[in-house]
Amino acid sequence: MKRWIPDRTTLFLIAVAIALAGLAWLRGGFPLVVDGLSSGAGKLLQVTPLLLAAFLVAGLTQVLVSRQVIERWLGSSAGWRGILLACLGGALIPGGPYVYYPIAGALLRSGAGLGVLVAFISAKNLWSVTRLPYEFALLGPRLTLIRYAVTFLLPPIFGIAAEAGFGSKIDGIREAMR
Amino acid sequence: MIESTLIMILIALAMWIFARSRGDDSVRRGVNVGWQTLKRTLLLLLIAFVIVGYVKVLAPQDLVRSWIGPESGLRGVLIGTIAGMLLPGGPYVVFPLIAALYQSGAGLGPTLAMITSWSTLALLTVSFELPFMGWRFSVLRLSLGLVAPLIVGLIGWLFIAG
Repeated sequence: MKRWIPDRTTLFLIAVAIALAGLAWLRGGFPLVVDGLSSGAGKLLQVTPLLLAAFLVAGLTQVLVSRQVIERWLGSSAGWRGILLACLGGALIPGGPYVYYPIAGALLRSGAGLGVLVAFISAKNLWSVTRLPYEFALLGPRLTLIRYAVTFLLPPIFGIAAEAGFGSKIDGIREAMR
Repeated sequence: MIESTLIMILIALAMWIFARSRGDDSVRRGVNVGWQTLKRTLLLLLIAFVIVGYVKVLAPQDLVRSWIGPESGLRGVLIGTIAGMLLPGGPYVVFPLIAALYQSGAGLGPTLAMITSWSTLALLTVSFELPFMGWRFSVLRLSLGLVAPLIVGLIGWLFIAG
């Protein structure tokens, strides 16, 4: 599973790129095909230094924040404090969905509350510290700042809303996953 | 672009110094993790920028504008939200694409909605969620998650862009 999905994505994206090149060919012949390639290459060259620094920042973040520490924090916390800690843990935890969903699943099985789980995943989605450098590098400071500012309160709100509205359903959810 | 690069380099430098101060092999491991990530994503990154180039030269600016332009309002935010759900791949693929659309005339609201909905609702990610959390959890989280791009998009459209 870990290998399978990125592969599909790659294949899909290659197909999209080829389709777009074909479309360029139909629209403007060979010159437009070259135009598209050189436009993409130009853009890539422009962001390369920024991107290299972003990869370095993301790499160092992953080493400085260990996964075990976050798991330990969240396993033993509940209530408001738990939801806030879950937000922090979600923001700091590195890696893609194949990393944080297994952790969330383990937390679910070991008794974490619904609010904690929702807050953890929402914070990973909206506050991710390891994604921040890429967002900054590729989308620019303005979009990134606005996006983080506007979504800043959502992870704790989602956690609290989930706990308040459906907190009692967690046992059913847990049972179903056994 | 130059300011952004400088800021990022400064952050990298600060983290480098912090990692060094721990006196273990953190720097080496951090550089290694970054390098491994880069190697793993290089192909995707290259393809993404090929797509970005074609989106740029082909972008039917009128079409982008009328679907998700600054004047597209609530409909643009909704379209942005749905588009975000369907975008495949990690940040190095998705962010350049969204940036290309933004530069081709997409409005702030729909653009923010797209970024946020890719973050919270991406269908590829949900396929990881289901086996670990179960469908009941997914339905609950997704219905909360659906609120996020709409709020962000509407704020971008109503209060910031216009």
